Amino acid sequence: MGETIEDIESRLLDLARLQPEGISNKDLKQQLPDVPLTDLTGVINKFLKNGTLELFRTKEDLFYKFKDPSKKTAAKGSDNEEKVVYKIIEEAGNKGIWIRDIRFKSNLNMTQLNKVLKSLETKKIIKAVKSVSASKKKVYMLYDLEPDSTVTGGAWYQDQDFESEFVDVLCQQSHRFLVQRLEDATKQGGGPLIIQKRSYATATEVQKYISDLGISKVALSITDIESILYTVVLDNNAERTVASNGKFMYKAISRFLPPPGLVKTSCGICVIEDKCASTGSVNPNICPYITDWLNDS
Amino acid sequence: MSVTFGKVISLILTERFGPIVSSVGSFLFKSQSSPLLFITRGVDLPLSNIKASLCVLIKYGLVTFKPNKNEKLANYHLESEKVLLMLRYPKYQNLAKIQFGDESAMIIEEILQRGYWTASQLILKVHERLSTNNVNPPTLTHIKDKLVYLITSKYLERLPSPDITKAVPSLIIQENELHVLPKIDIKNLVAYQENNSVTLPDANIYWTVNFDRFHQDMRDHIIVNAFENKFDAQAGEIIKLFLRQMYVRTEPWADVSNPIPSIEIKDILKRQSHQTHALAFFDQYMSIIEQDNSRLLRKVGEASGGSYQIYLKEAFTQFAWELVEQTVLAKYNSKAARIFRLVKEKPYIEPDRIQQLAMIPAKDAKKLSYQLYEENFLHIQELRKTSSNNGPTKNFTLFHIQLENVVRMLLELCYKVQFNHITRRNYERELNKRIIDKKQRVDTILMGMRAQGATEEQLADIEEMITPPEKEVLENIEKMMKQLSLVELEIDDTIFMLKMFIVYN
Repeated sequence: MGETIEDIESRLLDLARLQPEGISNKDLKQQLPDVPLTDLTGVINKFLKNGTLELFRTKEDLFYKFKDPSKKTAAKGSDNEEKVVYKIIEEAGNKGIWIRDIRFKSNLNMTQLNKVLKSLETKKIIKAVKSVSASKKKVYMLYDLEPDSTVTGGAWYQDQDFESEFVDVLCQQSHRFLVQRLEDATKQGGGPLIIQKRSYATATEVQKYISDLGISKVALSITDIESILYTVVLDNNAERTVASNGKFMYKAISRFLPPPGLVKTSCGICVIEDKCASTGSVNPNICPYITDWLNDS
Repeated sequence: MSVTFGKVISLILTERFGPIVSSVGSFLFKSQSSPLLFITRGVDLPLSNIKASLCVLIKYGLVTFKPNKNEKLANYHLESEKVLLMLRYPKYQNLAKIQFGDESAMIIEEILQRGYWTASQLILKVHERLSTNNVNPPTLTHIKDKLVYLITSKYLERLPSPDITKAVPSLIIQENELHVLPKIDIKNLVAYQENNSVTLPDANIYWTVNFDRFHQDMRDHIIVNAFENKFDAQAGEIIKLFLRQMYVRTEPWADVSNPIPSIEIKDILKRQSHQTHALAFFDQYMSIIEQDNSRLLRKVGEASGGSYQIYLKEAFTQFAWELVEQTVLAKYNSKAARIFRLVKEKPYIEPDRIQQLAMIPAKDAKKLSYQLYEENFLHIQELRKTSSNNGPTKNFTLFHIQLENVVRMLLELCYKVQFNHITRRNYERELNKRIIDKKQRVDTILMGMRAQGATEEQLADIEEMITPPEKEVLENIEKMMKQLSLVELEIDDTIFMLKMFIVYN
């Protein structure tokens, strides 16, 4: 008996890998005739316990199927329900799955399912992630998966809250970068066309600038930067054109008009303007907004 | 033609002509067009007063009349837009001053104050005004030249003369006589200056201001300034020349100009020695302006260095957009303006897409977009699923903007602001009537004493009649009035811009 238990284990594993549809006891006897049955059962039992092998049963025969060890974690010390739930969650991938859908798929009742999920969670096999689309909805996914951006909302969400300040800062910085570009180009001179050419920037350049600034803790992708730049365009602070290579180019622009006279008055931007009339409690004679405005400027 | 507009009209008329004329004007505004009989019934005033008011209004071109069906009676109609233009009078004068100098501004001022006047009288009056307090008054010929220039360049036009053969006279004038120069003999004018009994040859030829021509200039100013803001001064200069050349072959108020060869502009630039930069980079400027997203200047042909068309209607549409955007920005915040522009760029957009693209938190985006909807800046198109009556039906809410509605709404707001400011100004004046009156009295006394040659001490005594606190109040009021009138002009700029959009559409 030169073979150790480890040797038997590896031989058994090789065998099981070769036959993904499963090996029966008969096969084992043929392939491993030299291994004593007691040792074999010990090894098989060990594998079954840690989930490397799975036991299947056709009419009479028992089959052992090899299971990918990378996915084996769930089975460790878990019962059947846990395995079923684990499988369902695993299928959902990094998009996660909602508890109600698990219930339908597994046919487990609520209390039982809760217990299973809790136990899986404490074992750090799965995790619950809050979805941004519905704040009360929790989705489950495997512990080591990175949640999909549709679930987390991408770089702009922190604990399912939209980080508007972060976005604002990024917008400002991107705009500043573009303005800086334009100013540099104007300083260099050399004719309007060259100035225009020089003042264009691509998203990649903006991305580099932003990451050099170090304002963002997370790495921002080009798509993230593009969407930030699009808001700058929407604020009418920049324009977007398509370069010859199909990429977007951005450039700081100025507007046609100075602020109109209308918005320089308190009345033009008054929020209760529709309640205002020559008579009544809101009227221009005693309007405190007009008084403030007259005194201020 | 809203209630607010009517109120502004009535306030302006009261300010310029007093309450009687104003009440007649307001009645005409409400009834649109009505004969004298109806006016007497609608306005609680003696007939003579009404007649006098109508005369005043007709004199200033604010009321027009037309014979009714039986041609025996006249229907009077208030030209409300022209009443509103009275607020713009200082601007016309200023424009004339900048472009043609003091004499022209004075000519315009005299005509605006009187409604219409003869050429000879005008020249004499302006000469008289310039001669006082002036060592070197301009000669009569000089003023005449200025006047002739104003007439030939259509800033002034001849008033139609009545055909008095009918019961209701109709005002007629030949198209070709509108801008024909009157014969003015300087000798005759000099003789008149010495002896008023000399008859002037043009006693029946009256001239009035052609507002349309001024508006055309104002429009061009806006376009040039806009290009200066957007690009730089040289680009503005180029556009200015384009507009000037546009008049050679295009009707002034056309939506799109006829093609203008760029070589013409280049030639003009060559002759202007100070425009070396614009000339050196002329082609580059052209390509920048042409390739800009605004697309206000478009190339139509390659012949002779390329010819271009100016899209005037398009320009004012874009200006109107920008104006509305800026209003949204000022009234709400930058996020609301972002949403507004997003909806402009992608009409019929779903609320979900708004928050995604505008990068605004869901809650804020919803709040802002519905706020904009509530204030009529955005409009909603709903799509309903009709069929299924079981289960929750899903509706689609799509946002879009109807610019013309928004512009009209803002115009209405402008009227309201004007109304508020005039009301407030009257109120403040009423409130401090006593002090203002006192100040006026003291001023007249001071003037009288100065004329009599009183000593400095006496003058100071009189001046002290106004106490320091009173002085402070007076200063405050003066500041307030100044600001209100300044803003009045700025609001008028906005009104002009919005009106331009409506005119072009």
